[in-house]
This record gives sequence, C-alpha cells and structure tokens, in this order.
Amino acid sequence: MSAYLAELVFIGIATGALYAIVAIGFNLVFGTMNVLNLAHGATLMVGSYGLLLVYYLGIDNFWLAAGTGIFVAMATGLAIERAAVRPLRGHWWNTKVATLGAAVFLENLVHVLTNGHAQNVPRPFDPTYYRIAWTIEISDFQVFLIVLSVGVMLGMVWFLTRTRWGRAIRVLAQSPDIAKCVGINIDRVTVLGFAVSGALAGLAGILNAATFGSTYPFVGTLLGLKGIVVLIVAGIGNMRGALYVGLVLGIVETMAVGLGGSTYRDVIAYCAMVLILLVRPHGMFGEQSRVVREI
Amino acid sequence: MEPSEAPAGIPVLEVRGLEISYGPVVAATDVFLRVNRGEIVALLGPNGAGKTSVLKAIMGLVRPSAGRVDYLASGARREITRLPTHELARLGIANVPSAQIVLPRMTVEENLLVGGLYLLDDRRAAGRRVGELLDRFPLLAARARQLASSLSGGEQRQLAIARGLMSGPRLMLLDEPSLGLAPIMLNDVFGMLARICREDGVDILMVEQNVRKALEIADRAYVMRIGGIEFSGPSDEVAEMERLKDAYLGS
Repeated sequence: MSAYLAELVFIGIATGALYAIVAIGFNLVFGTMNVLNLAHGATLMVGSYGLLLVYYLGIDNFWLAAGTGIFVAMATGLAIERAAVRPLRGHWWNTKVATLGAAVFLENLVHVLTNGHAQNVPRPFDPTYYRIAWTIEISDFQVFLIVLSVGVMLGMVWFLTRTRWGRAIRVLAQSPDIAKCVGINIDRVTVLGFAVSGALAGLAGILNAATFGSTYPFVGTLLGLKGIVVLIVAGIGNMRGALYVGLVLGIVETMAVGLGGSTYRDVIAYCAMVLILLVRPHGMFGEQSRVVREI
Repeated sequence: MEPSEAPAGIPVLEVRGLEISYGPVVAATDVFLRVNRGEIVALLGPNGAGKTSVLKAIMGLVRPSAGRVDYLASGARREITRLPTHELARLGIANVPSAQIVLPRMTVEENLLVGGLYLLDDRRAAGRRVGELLDRFPLLAARARQLASSLSGGEQRQLAIARGLMSGPRLMLLDEPSLGLAPIMLNDVFGMLARICREDGVDILMVEQNVRKALEIADRAYVMRIGGIEFSGPSDEVAEMERLKDAYLGS
C-alpha cells in the first residue's frame, strides 16, 4: 500500500508541475498586464498540434517537433496580444471577451482542420520501467517529465528574479507608472510577457500530449481552468505560490483518483479553491500574506 | 499668465502655455514655469489646483492638450512635450510620485537596483551605486533585505527618492515629498533634497502643500490657483505674499 502511495505522489508531482507551468504562464500576463488571457489553454493546444505538424511533414524527430510546437505557441501568444489585447488596452472586460473569442476561434479552427479526431502523439523514447524499492515502479519517461517540468519552473524563477527582462516584468506587475519612470519601455515588456507566456503554454501542451500519448482540439479547456484555479488559490501575480499550489493540487488529485476513482477528480480542485478562498480571499500567498517574499 | 521677467540663469526645464484636461474637465491651463541650473523650484497651491497634473504632463504620464515643454539634455535644448516617459527617464529626468511610490513585493535593495535597471548599462556600477546610496540613507541600509511594503511612510519616501537617484539624473520631479511624513522625518527629507541639489547637482521641481517647509529650501516658487499660475517669484517674496494672504484672507 505504501508503495502504491509513493507511486501516486510521484505521478502527482509530474501532473502538478504541469499545472504550475500553465499557471505561471497565466500569471506572466495576468500579473503584469492585468489581462486574463482566456486563450491560454487554446495556445497550449496549438502548441501540441505544432508538434504534430512536423510529423505530418514527414520529419520523424521529437526534439525538432517539440521546438516547433513551442515556437508556434509563442507566435500564437504574440498574435493574441496584437489582435485581442493591444487594441483594447485598459478595457478589462473587453479583453476577457476578446481572448475568449480567440480561444473559441483557435479550438474550432483546429477541430475543423483535423476532423475533430484525437491525434496520437509520439513519445521521445519508449518508457522503461524500473523498480526502485519494494514494489514501486517508475519509468524513465516519468522521471524525464518531472525533471523537465521542475527545471522549467526553476528556470522561470531565475528569469524573473535575476535577469533584467524578468525584473522588468515584475516591476510592471507592481506599478506601470514606476516602470515607465525607471526607463522601462512597457510596450516591449508586454510583448515579451506574451511571448514567454505563449512558449510556456506550448511547452505545457507538449508535456501533456507526451504524457497521455494524444491530443485533441479542446485539450486546453480543462487544463486552462486548472491553471486559473492554481493562479487564484496561490494569489494573483505570485509566481512561487503558483509553483507550490500547482504541485500540491497535482498530488492531491492523483491521490484522490488512485484511492477513490476518477469520477470526482475535478470536483476536488474546485472545492479546494472555494474552501481556501473562503478562508483567504486573496489566495494562499496573496498580497495580504507575508508568507512568500520577493516574487 | 506669462511671467514678465524671466529669472536669470540657464534654463534646464521650461514649460510654456501648458494645458491639461481630463475629458471636459480642465485641470490646468496656461502654465508657464522654468527651472534653472542649480535651482530648487517649488510648485505650490491648494488641493485641486492642478499641480500634480503639471508634473505628470512634464513626465509624459498624461498627455497635455496644449503647450510645450523644453529640456536641456546633455548641453542641447530640445522639445520633450510628447516623448514617452521611458525616454524622458533616459534623458536624465527622475520622477518621485506621491502615491504608490515603492515596489511593495521587492526588497529595499531590489527597489534601488530597479532604478538603474535600464538607466545604467553596467551591472557592477549599479551594485556600487546601491552601496553608495545605502551609505547615504542609513534608515534604508538597516532594512536592505526587507520587503518595501514593510517600511513606514517616511522610509518609503526615502526609498523612492534614493531610487530616483540611482541613475544619476540631472532633474528630479517630486510630487509632495512631505505627504504623510512625521515632523522629524519632514526635516530629514527636506534636508536631503537640499543636499541632493547642492552636492549631486540635481535640479529639482517639487509640488508641495507644505508651503513653509518648501520655501525654506526652494530658490523660487510658483503658486497655482484653480488651474493656472497665479504668482511666481523668489522664495522670500512668495513667502511674504503667502503671509499677507493668510493675514487678510484666512485660508
């Protein structure tokens, strides 16, 4: 039993890291530009199809395909900024409707182009299972996903706290006026935020597709919602909080599925959100909390 | 009202005929003022006179509906009326606003670093500059690794001023540096501004409601009432004028 629990935790970390990457992508745009990009999930989906595109063209190379998928998602993020956000700057509700429209457009476009069937996604390598202790079995592919996801998260923390562009994003998130007055061109930082956010979405889409071995046009809807849950529970604009909450949500969900069954998997996330917001309206690590410093 | 006699000196900042309106509401109109090399200039007046709007228009944070602003940037006079704020910052104009003056989710040290993020090219120079400023502002040095949101109002004001100094500006715009300060802190901050002008060679234009304090350190002052400049002159004349007003009109 304990071996089974350990396996669940392990899978939960992989799932949670994925949620965290989605939430950090949301956060980059929401925390800085005050735009809730409801097309983030659709961008994620476009990334997974960008990967497939390379295979359709007859090139059998996972890494090239993954790079293409991330690039396509980044371009999608930039296109959303240009078409659905920049023309409506300062109109908070309108950008929400416009990005939702972009999501519906992208999802149905892909749906029509692919006849609505789910597509198989190749894996970079076939998993080999290893017994690490007692009866705990993990595959090298799971390890690969976890290392990659956690690596991306730590990379984002480094980017935001140690680099000039990352700091500029955080300054903009806290005060657009101060950002301008210290010489930051906030238009350029906004574009950068959408590009990085899009690339993260693409990466999440590819990780998700590689995990399940398939993708479909509406894959981003549920993942996007999970990202929003993590964002809200962690406290808007808080990157490190998103990391913790994403991991915890992934582990709790996987445990619930493993011990109870998959029927109530999504109920857990939303119930947890409601409960936490009842106690802490600003989120676990929101503005009112002193728990998390720096970011 | 155009001033009849221009004050002597090299004009660093010159504002002519500036008008700012928010939709149908005119916040300031026909504003003429200048800051000369080596001067501290105060922009005085009651609430709602449009002082803050004038500062924001100079800094490019609001768009004036008429008038022009000229600035002496590295020896050459140029019009800066509609330049974006980040370019004005690169020309050596620092701005210390009156509200939301620090970055709450960054440490004191990082707040300072941000002041030179895009305005200083050399990372190591920025690190040295942070050290210098912390030496100069002991209150901040004691709290270098605390979040800016944990500072008192007076400490936050000092931090905002120090952040403005990070990039080595030529001109500093301050909106109500006295706002929310305890009396002891008030003397500290104004003494600091006088030194910044004298020792760092930073010219200062500040908006103030604390007339007496502002006139103690200012060389000249402009008084705004309901939208326009009503009176201007050397600090002692303005102080005399204000005393007469107080005596005859109350207020």
